Amino acid sequence: MILKQRGARVVIANQWDRFGLPFLLAVLIVVFSGLSESFRTVYNLVSNFQFAAMVGIGAIGMAFCIMSGDFDISVGSMSALVGVLGASLVPRFGGGVGVAVTVLLATALGFLNGVFVTKLKIPAFITTLGMMYIYRSLAYIYTNNTPVYIKDPFWLFLGNGVVFGVPFAIILMAVCYAAGIYLLRKTPFGRYVVAVGTNRTAARLSGINVDGIKLAVFTMVGLFVGIASVVTAATLGSVNPGMTGQGYEFQLITAVVLGGTALGGGNGNLLGAFFASMIVVYLKNGLGMKQVNSYWQFVAFGLVLIFAVGINRIKFTLLGMRET
Amino acid sequence: MIKFLKLYERFGILLFIVVGVVFLSFASPNFLKMDTILNVVAQGTYAAMVGFGMTLALTSGGFDLSVESVMALSSVFLAVFIPKVGIPLAILLAVLAAAFVGMLNGLVIAKLKVNPLITTLSMQMIVTGAALLIAGGKMIVIKQKQFMELGTGKTLGIPNQIYIMLLFFVIFYFVLYHTSFGRQVSAVGSNETASRISGVNVDLVKIGVYVLVAFTAGLTSVIRTSQALIGMPTMSAGFVLVALTVTILGGTSLAGGRGNLWGTLLAALFVSMVYYGLNLINLQIFYQMLAVGLVLLIALFIEGLRVRYLQAAKAKGIRV
Repeated sequence: MILKQRGARVVIANQWDRFGLPFLLAVLIVVFSGLSESFRTVYNLVSNFQFAAMVGIGAIGMAFCIMSGDFDISVGSMSALVGVLGASLVPRFGGGVGVAVTVLLATALGFLNGVFVTKLKIPAFITTLGMMYIYRSLAYIYTNNTPVYIKDPFWLFLGNGVVFGVPFAIILMAVCYAAGIYLLRKTPFGRYVVAVGTNRTAARLSGINVDGIKLAVFTMVGLFVGIASVVTAATLGSVNPGMTGQGYEFQLITAVVLGGTALGGGNGNLLGAFFASMIVVYLKNGLGMKQVNSYWQFVAFGLVLIFAVGINRIKFTLLGMRET
Repeated sequence: MIKFLKLYERFGILLFIVVGVVFLSFASPNFLKMDTILNVVAQGTYAAMVGFGMTLALTSGGFDLSVESVMALSSVFLAVFIPKVGIPLAILLAVLAAAFVGMLNGLVIAKLKVNPLITTLSMQMIVTGAALLIAGGKMIVIKQKQFMELGTGKTLGIPNQIYIMLLFFVIFYFVLYHTSFGRQVSAVGSNETASRISGVNVDLVKIGVYVLVAFTAGLTSVIRTSQALIGMPTMSAGFVLVALTVTILGGTSLAGGRGNLWGTLLAALFVSMVYYGLNLINLQIFYQMLAVGLVLLIALFIEGLRVRYLQAAKAKGIRV
């Protein structure tokens, strides 16, 4: 590592990357376990893991998106729309079709987002802001604002099932992370995404198909949101056009940024995103267990995101990098 | 093409409005009556006023996603303080609270150099939480009936809110186009580094912009609250979409540097006409959200064309 030669500051920053978030997570679990009787039950700790899968799986796509220098804030509404559509097909076509439609439709919507973003040449957050409201209103219109329940055993298994004593959602999350990390570290695609995030013009001039990469990234966001939606719907047992995915974009961005990915793009840390999504979920659960007014949770999560940005700022300053 | 885009910039939104008027007057026999028109204009004032603030923010190269929560906070403040300190002081407090949130936004964006998206998204969460906490999660009914005068009263047959909106338009027009502050806002939006080097106090300009955005949102909330006589911690969900849509449809560039207040005003009227049309055919509120989202996409499409042709023109060395 060339970076190591720059001394103690770099060591601190690198150690934070490696141990900071797991440490934070451990502290969080210890503190809440001390405070709350019901938090420290094995059941709660494991079921939290399942909820972490919802944020964790979605965070993979969002991480690639932020690495490439963009945001997708339509994820929450997208999750609601594909969830109600997929779930509504179950009675007629069975659970397999419902799950497949949910994932495929989310991928298609992600692709659509990508087309708008690359063709319009407009900052992605504003395009996806428009899509966010369009998806949400379509979910309302399609269901006439009534929740859709999931009773299909196959679908329910995907969220609640246990294989060899391990919840299936956790296995699914592990597989998704393995794929994501492989894609990021071992394939040209991962390097291209980082290159596009670092300097779009330079990436184009060195022969990278920038629009193609962006399109792929937004499609990936859709794919992972689709998988996460299936798990969420199974864990909760229903999809609600109004409630499902509210604030999901916020949780994902927080997980990715707290995980150490720079806001302006250009670097990526998927393991960090994993630990950060665990932190987000345990924090939410712990506050809930302590009967903290749920409105305080809004405030807490707003502050966590700003805190995450601050940590990143300090880290990149230590490394002598500038975050844009 | 560039000529077309220039023409569009000047008259495009008028075209939307003319088409809308022709369509609606065929669709509904009541549309061309004075009452209906005034009603449509009055309904458009909210989007217009928050849109003026948003126009300023976009001109400075930023934007503000926290306007919804600021409106909710002001509304709750009014409901809580009117019984305690009287109407005028409560209005002052509500607007000051809004401006304070704007100042926080501005400070974080300008001094800590955090991306406006992240800042205002976090602020949206924090302030929504604060509004819900203050209100205890409930709507608060305001019992002082005289407060209703402000939003529902009429002067010379025209609703008060239209006068307030026009007053704001004049003030913003003057500030943006005829003061050094307005020129500095444009300068910061088109090239921040250049403005800094040429001696503009960029941080102060940005803070001023976000204070103004929140201020207009707060005042809009005062009018809305006075009409409903309820302090609502969940007021105006989705309003940020409306505010951004009218601003972009009005021709304010997302890239910063060029604000079009006239466009914002006319676009707000257009969106209000769309709402009226949807009401005619009895569509639920969800369709309003869908319609505004689609209008935003159209606006983005036009903006995208403009960006593309400006780039092409630049590459060919044509001065635009």
